[in-house]
Amino acid sequence: MSDTAATLTQDRQKLEMAALSAPAVVFTVAMIAFPVVYTIWLGFQTFSSTGKQSFAGLANYSKLISDVEFWHGLWITIALFVLSLALQLVFGVWLALVLFHAKRLPGIVRSLFISPFMMPPVVAGMMWLVILDPSLGAANYILQSFGLPPSDWLASPTWVIPTVALIDSWQWTPYVALIVLGGLQSLPPSVYEAAQIDGASPFKTFHRITLPLLLPTIVTAAILRSVDLLRFFDIIYITTQGGPGNASNTLNIYGFRVGFEFFNIGYASALMLTLTAIVFGAVLAFNRLRGAVAW
Amino acid sequence: MKARMLATHVALPVFAIAAASAPAHAADFDWMKFKGKTVTFLANNNPVAQALLTYKADFEKLTGMTLKVDAYQEQQMRQRLVTVMNANSDEVDVFMTLPSREGEQFAAAGWYGDLTTMARNEVAKDYDPNGLSQALLKAATFNGKLTSMPMNIEGPIFYYRTDIFKKCGLEAPKTIKDVEAAAEKIKTCDGAVTPFVSRGLKPAIAYTFSNMLHNIGGTYIASGKSNLCSAKGKEALDTYSRLMRDFGPPGVVNYSFQQISALYRSGRAAMAFESSNELRTVMEGGARLKDTGLLPFPAGEAGQVPTTIGWGMAVSSHSKQPEAAWYFVQWATSPEVQKKMALQGIAPPRPSVAKDPEYRKWIDEEPVRKEWQAALDVLATKGSSEVGYPIVANPESREFIGQAVQDLILKQKPVEQACADADKALDALIARK
Repeated sequence: MSDTAATLTQDRQKLEMAALSAPAVVFTVAMIAFPVVYTIWLGFQTFSSTGKQSFAGLANYSKLISDVEFWHGLWITIALFVLSLALQLVFGVWLALVLFHAKRLPGIVRSLFISPFMMPPVVAGMMWLVILDPSLGAANYILQSFGLPPSDWLASPTWVIPTVALIDSWQWTPYVALIVLGGLQSLPPSVYEAAQIDGASPFKTFHRITLPLLLPTIVTAAILRSVDLLRFFDIIYITTQGGPGNASNTLNIYGFRVGFEFFNIGYASALMLTLTAIVFGAVLAFNRLRGAVAW
Repeated sequence: MKARMLATHVALPVFAIAAASAPAHAADFDWMKFKGKTVTFLANNNPVAQALLTYKADFEKLTGMTLKVDAYQEQQMRQRLVTVMNANSDEVDVFMTLPSREGEQFAAAGWYGDLTTMARNEVAKDYDPNGLSQALLKAATFNGKLTSMPMNIEGPIFYYRTDIFKKCGLEAPKTIKDVEAAAEKIKTCDGAVTPFVSRGLKPAIAYTFSNMLHNIGGTYIASGKSNLCSAKGKEALDTYSRLMRDFGPPGVVNYSFQQISALYRSGRAAMAFESSNELRTVMEGGARLKDTGLLPFPAGEAGQVPTTIGWGMAVSSHSKQPEAAWYFVQWATSPEVQKKMALQGIAPPRPSVAKDPEYRKWIDEEPVRKEWQAALDVLATKGSSEVGYPIVANPESREFIGQAVQDLILKQKPVEQACADADKALDALIARK
């Protein structure tokens, strides 16, 4: 076959491939791009209380800078993110180590350990709402049985964020543990054999070998949880709706209320795009970190 | 600004005028006119819709239409409605609405179909539109257009434990001061129960707080400005939050109807100020059937001005089959269906149903039901539908009322600062177009 004929055949094959994959590409682009572009467009619109729409330019974004509720929501979002992520990574690694070393643990016990994250967040929220009810819930009953003072849990402006972080960590720590467990199982046994020969203590083995080798896996788990934690919504919506006062009013909850309760879709879109940018920023930062700790 | 009064003696006979020519068309009315069509109903999954939808098959048999039900919890229902209406979609034909909350807003946005003509020309012989509460019809009329038909009548009422009151030597309270005095006495007399509970969850507070504000003689707006910092406004804020803080359960700032009903039903609250709709939930299991007394909320300096509202059924302005949709609305608000719903504990918005012998027999079966109906009669005659600010941004106004009350319950601000902060935010809302 001549070069020209071969090139023509290759071109035809490329065209065929493009034609065959076009519907899937168009569908995917439409499903992803359209909502994003539409939201960007909405962010430049203003809606009156009666739903009347007009072009607002950057007004929604300049409003955002002077909006006390936005900055408060951002602070709450970051506080919840840091606290929950720290709890989930620490306890997730611990749970993974327990599951990894407890070879004789029956399958059903392992399944029970990891079952919370399979529960729908709405169910988890409702369940914890009942348990933490200061008057009727089991949590205060248990505290008082041990002679400890009762807590207002979700009704206390001081304790609401730690309580929500605990609920989320109860649900998602097993998920982190599963990812870390996968990482543990893939670590090279030869390194541990060498450490054993050198007489390294279990703590030193963990500190000097396991943890550094696991870091890329832990960062991956952190990326996956970060995306969810920065968009935290369901459990707060079920348990506190952003209260008491504004004590748990994350950016996502605030944006939802602005859009769907006060019908200001334009400003809500600007809020949500800002949150999206923050999520992207966090993912990029973690990705760089993952690159730095790769081995 | 005066509260939007519901009292029948002040209500304009809007619907009576509209209905005057109805009988001329009733003879031609055919329930099977839209046989084969499908009507989509966006429902709030509350006791009112649950009772109505028990008879869904009856509607389909009567009309030959198919009723597609899209049911959500209240907030999710509104979320879906906002999405559908902003997209000018015809996906929803009929939706449930609270005129006291979103009436001004939805009417201004043009989301309600105009029912005035259909309610005059397309009515069955036995529909009796004049029999519906004229006051609730007036509350659903905006700029002369009838926007929804009432499904029920409801409002917050005062539940109290007669056995605890007797044990503590207390009489049923007649005034707000009596409520506070009773709470004080119960606190020492029976330390195991919560003396008083009402709504403390921020967006839910306006429903019960409005009743106290109006009883005390306060108003939300005066001379076009927010009026929470008036003497009466501050008194209402202070009294409501003091009752909740000093005599309410721990964590009351997260309390809405579910928590209040659960606490009272379990016997752990002596007084509860909660919706009349919660009677069925509160009486579940029968533990509270014999030891509960019911009253409209006790009087303040301005007497009793109970909060009275009702869910309505509206036809979407984007519906491509408003007439078929109207047939469903008409069936759902007919005397026959409302009587069936009343027997399930849904207070009827038709005085004729309230007087029906079968319904009266059901009421007479239990003293607590008699007191419930008596309280509802007061709500129907003296009520105000003003829950939150009577402005287009009513739902948002409820946030600021709730915030002021929560600030006081949690002792985060003194009353002067809480009301001033609320007034500032609310003045901006009032000014917003």
